[in-house]
Amino acid sequence: MSDCRHIGKARPRPDAADKAAGRTLYINDLIRPGMLHGKVKFSEHAHARIVRIDTSRAERLPGVRAVVTAYDTPEIRIGFLNDNFALKRDKVRQFRDEVAAVAAIDPDIAAEAVDLIDVEYEPLPGVFTLDEAMAQGAPLVHEMDARGNPLTTNELSLRYGHESGDLAVAERASAHVVEGRFSTQLMQQSCLGTAGCLAELDMSGNLSIWARTQIPFLAQRDFTQALRALGLPGRNCRVIVPALGGTFGTGLDTHAYEYIAIVLAHRTNRPVKILYNREEEFANLSPRQSAEVEIAQGCDREGRLTFRRVRVRQDNGAYGSWGATFPTVMLLPVTSLYRVPNVSFDARLVYTNNTYCQAMRGYGNPEVTWPIESNLDELAEAASIDPFELRMRNCNEPGETTPMGLQVTTCGLKECMEATAAKLDWGAERRARRGVGMASLIHVGGSGRIYRSDGGGVILKFDDFGQINVSYGGVEMGQGLHSALSLTVAEALGVSPDKVTINPTDTGTCPWDVGTHASRGAFIACNAALAAAEKARAQIFAAAEEVFPRLALQNLERYCVQHPDYRAPTFDLAAAVKADRFELADGQIVLRDAPAEPWLKVDLDRLLRAIHFRGSRGEVITASAFYEPQSDLPDWQKGVGNMSATYAYGAQGAEVEVDEETGEVRIVRMVAAHDVGKVLNPQTLAGQAYGGLTQGVGYALYEEILTEQGRILNPSFTDYKIPTIREMSFPVHLEFIETDDPAGPFGAKGVGEPGLVPTAPAIANAIYDAVGVRIRDLPITPEKVLRALDARRAASAGKQTSTP
Amino acid sequence: MTPFDYHRPETLAEAFRIAGEIPGARYVAGGTDVLVRIRSGRERPNALISLGRIDTLARLELGSVTRIGARATIGQVLDHPELTSAYPLLAQAARPFGSTQVRNLATVGGNLCNASPAADMAPVLLALDARVEIEGPQGTREVPLDAFFKGPGQTDLAPREVLTTIVLEPPGPDARSCFLRKSRVGMDIALTSVAAHLQLADDRLTRVRIAAGAVAPCPLRLRAVEDLLEGRTVEPGLLDEAARLAASEIAPITDIRASANYRRRLTRTLVRRAVAAACEESR
Ligand SMILES: Cc1cc2nc3c(=O)[nH]c(=O)nc-3n(C[C@H](O)[C@H](O)[C@H](O)COP(=O)(O)OP(=O)(O)OC[C@H]3O[C@@H](n4cnc5c(N)ncnc54)[C@H](O)[C@@H]3O)c2cc1C
Repeated sequence: MSDCRHIGKARPRPDAADKAAGRTLYINDLIRPGMLHGKVKFSEHAHARIVRIDTSRAERLPGVRAVVTAYDTPEIRIGFLNDNFALKRDKVRQFRDEVAAVAAIDPDIAAEAVDLIDVEYEPLPGVFTLDEAMAQGAPLVHEMDARGNPLTTNELSLRYGHESGDLAVAERASAHVVEGRFSTQLMQQSCLGTAGCLAELDMSGNLSIWARTQIPFLAQRDFTQALRALGLPGRNCRVIVPALGGTFGTGLDTHAYEYIAIVLAHRTNRPVKILYNREEEFANLSPRQSAEVEIAQGCDREGRLTFRRVRVRQDNGAYGSWGATFPTVMLLPVTSLYRVPNVSFDARLVYTNNTYCQAMRGYGNPEVTWPIESNLDELAEAASIDPFELRMRNCNEPGETTPMGLQVTTCGLKECMEATAAKLDWGAERRARRGVGMASLIHVGGSGRIYRSDGGGVILKFDDFGQINVSYGGVEMGQGLHSALSLTVAEALGVSPDKVTINPTDTGTCPWDVGTHASRGAFIACNAALAAAEKARAQIFAAAEEVFPRLALQNLERYCVQHPDYRAPTFDLAAAVKADRFELADGQIVLRDAPAEPWLKVDLDRLLRAIHFRGSRGEVITASAFYEPQSDLPDWQKGVGNMSATYAYGAQGAEVEVDEETGEVRIVRMVAAHDVGKVLNPQTLAGQAYGGLTQGVGYALYEEILTEQGRILNPSFTDYKIPTIREMSFPVHLEFIETDDPAGPFGAKGVGEPGLVPTAPAIANAIYDAVGVRIRDLPITPEKVLRALDARRAASAGKQTSTP
Repeated sequence: MTPFDYHRPETLAEAFRIAGEIPGARYVAGGTDVLVRIRSGRERPNALISLGRIDTLARLELGSVTRIGARATIGQVLDHPELTSAYPLLAQAARPFGSTQVRNLATVGGNLCNASPAADMAPVLLALDARVEIEGPQGTREVPLDAFFKGPGQTDLAPREVLTTIVLEPPGPDARSCFLRKSRVGMDIALTSVAAHLQLADDRLTRVRIAAGAVAPCPLRLRAVEDLLEGRTVEPGLLDEAARLAASEIAPITDIRASANYRRRLTRTLVRRAVAAACEESR
């Protein structure tokens, strides 16, 4: 598709102007008649028995319409492990546990009422580190599993692993082996728009809920179960997604506050809105999971990788979310980043009394790319091979099948690494205390199958004015999905993107979609849209056989009046009119076998009206298609399966300068080279790449949720630091490699997550190159760098004194 | 946020009267500290008395002495070319202060009266030997800024008193200065800040003033460092000695932003760099 009219051309996204002007309506702006405001009472202990909850004072406060606890509402279990509850009964397992909630006529009254709820606790000993949680006789976070069977350990029953080749043999045969322990921190998704929802039940018990979700249809299933628990089986649940100020993975699960809003709406018979403020968002929503990783990699004398062994332990917090499936994505880089024949992987998750964790952009991938790519530089040093060279020698190639069974169709990794090295002047002489580093990535590029259907549907509806409305069940959360989708529809139907409107996501009007994760939004939506457009074209062309000749002849008549000297070429119109010989271009329908006479082009809107207004034969055009990508649901315990229709690759490089007296790291410049398959809209793509890189820099250098005995110590942007424009004012060179993937819409792959995956190891490798210290736990704070520099100085001083 | 009354007196006398009538009322200038605390529930005043309409508090005058009205905003200081060229330290502290929006609201007086150990205007004003004028129902008094800070959030102000003016002496013919500040990211509370102001003539350091922020309960002058440097020529080893001495004069704490140890290391480095940079500064 080199002759695209819209694909590949920079174009502002359709939602840009309204967002810039403050016209977009977010959950914060939604008001329903009679709406109440809900507020949650959270636990004041990390682990405690609930002795008594006294809600009487809150109930007496004027303006309060309902106070609910687990003791006066039906049990609603939540989470894919069914180990969590909308409202907690008997005991709390983390500071943010929801013990009660209030609905009141305004938010201030609701907040006051929550303060009036008295909860008496009997504190229990807690477990706050992996070692504490896994110790013999450790207090149990959950005494029973979801089925009521007693538990004896805090370890989750989920198992993830992979074994291929013969590790022991490979390790013995290696010329160089390097081992290391790495760790990553809890990270806040830092969405500009905080969490919130609005739940409303009609008089028959049908639910409408406006939610910050990335999974409208899985949420619909979850909420339908909640309705059943409330004694409303068989009722309709409609999930509507308003404009979102970012989600970054926070919308992959349904949350206790959403169920609480439903319970309050049910109790009061009024719409109820719950909106978290920033402190609540920080303290009471799940951050990205932390990880502890042990890694070993080896290579032969030529620098060819011989084996890779990765052991991961993750502090899951008190309950399970989809975040507990991070290892499903860890498998990709562990088994398939660079060619490595012998791989061993094992991941374990442990319950603790810390805040429970959830998904975030990259979904386990950055957690292991960090140790893999840091350790690879150490291996390169051990083998005395340039790190870029070592990577090139092990580069993945199109056509290979990896140990996990990933079938690599297109692969631009080599080009990405070459571009990165070139733009960084790899190998050039540098000033003292400056250095460069790079790291690569693999990620799903054609969705990622974690559910029995990994598809999504699109409906196209044409109106009498030639406007096309598109309904898709995935979510625009700020990433630019609607831009890609409108360009795709415009391209496929030969209309201007202005003629394409993407409808709000609503389970009541949109076809099913598994959810917007795994960088799959544009890949799935555009593929489904292309299939739907094909069907629409067939419908339009079939009807055009009947109506086109009449419209063309009307055109000719008018044309002759306007141009009296015009002589129409001799041409058999009736013979040329065949359904399969029509084409749509520039908002018009034309015949491929007709001369390029102006009167032989009919405006699409006029054609659509002619198709519509023809008595009993009238038709309005709608077309729908469901796209299911070609991939396999992997066996997670064996860690085998071709989980995506294609894979995205990339490399990032950083040049940094380190202040050896303060430990500060200043990024001088960065390069991000991504195999995107095909550039759909360079503007939104650059947005994804810059945004991802910025989050990657935050992950590498600044961001960390700090906890003490389960309590979050920095629940605000005052104390939790994301990079500001001052940190991000270095030049970033973006390079997009187009590998034209056969599975992708116009050849495109998913691009949403890769941007932050290799950033941290690229920076860490550059720090090592600059001053010779390796930091193994994120974030790389100046304090850690200084400590490492001190240790190195002390060691070399020791060496000097010991030499006579 | 608990509700409060809001008063906007136009004279200091009226402000004193309202403050007298409503115990528990609080003055507010830009509100960038007060309102943050009220919203978080850490403070619940029943009334706020705005100083925003008392125009006598907003004057900026350069003369035999320089007078900066307490209600001058950080942005006004930054945008005052004569002021910043006479006292480059003020611009160095004001430039990275918060963000444009914060600088447009935050006042110099508020920064001092809030008495945060990390207040950015404090070290530079200490290094400039600032005095503050205070007015209350009983009259006016002047104290050296050095004696104004009493502890975190505590000042020499009696109830109802208002800080009206910050007074600076002319910078001196051979004045050199430098302000350095470290924080985790651009918009952040300082981990450590150091201001140096001195006269350099014939290679000799005189009237040396070194002040540090965020490393003790109050912003403070590092007097031992000042004494060490006073009258000396900059020779090898002197600044290292000054840096070591600085670390012994401070009492930093460990918090979520940094450890006491790291703050001490930073202070040493910043003292050495600030004095060195001041000496190298060309005038
Ligand atoms: C996002 C953000 C970023 C910030 N960045 C910085 C920064 O980089 N550096 C920094 O130092 N600070 C920073 N601050 C803190 C704050 O902006 C400053 O301390 C500011 O100077 C306070 O001035 P104000 O006029 O807003 O004070 P207010 O909040 O109005 O008052 C502060 C205190 O002083 C009292 N007060 C004010 N004026 C007088 C007066 N004339 N007489 C008597 N009492 C008075 C008030 O009663 C109150 O107790 C930041 C704050 C925010 C919200």
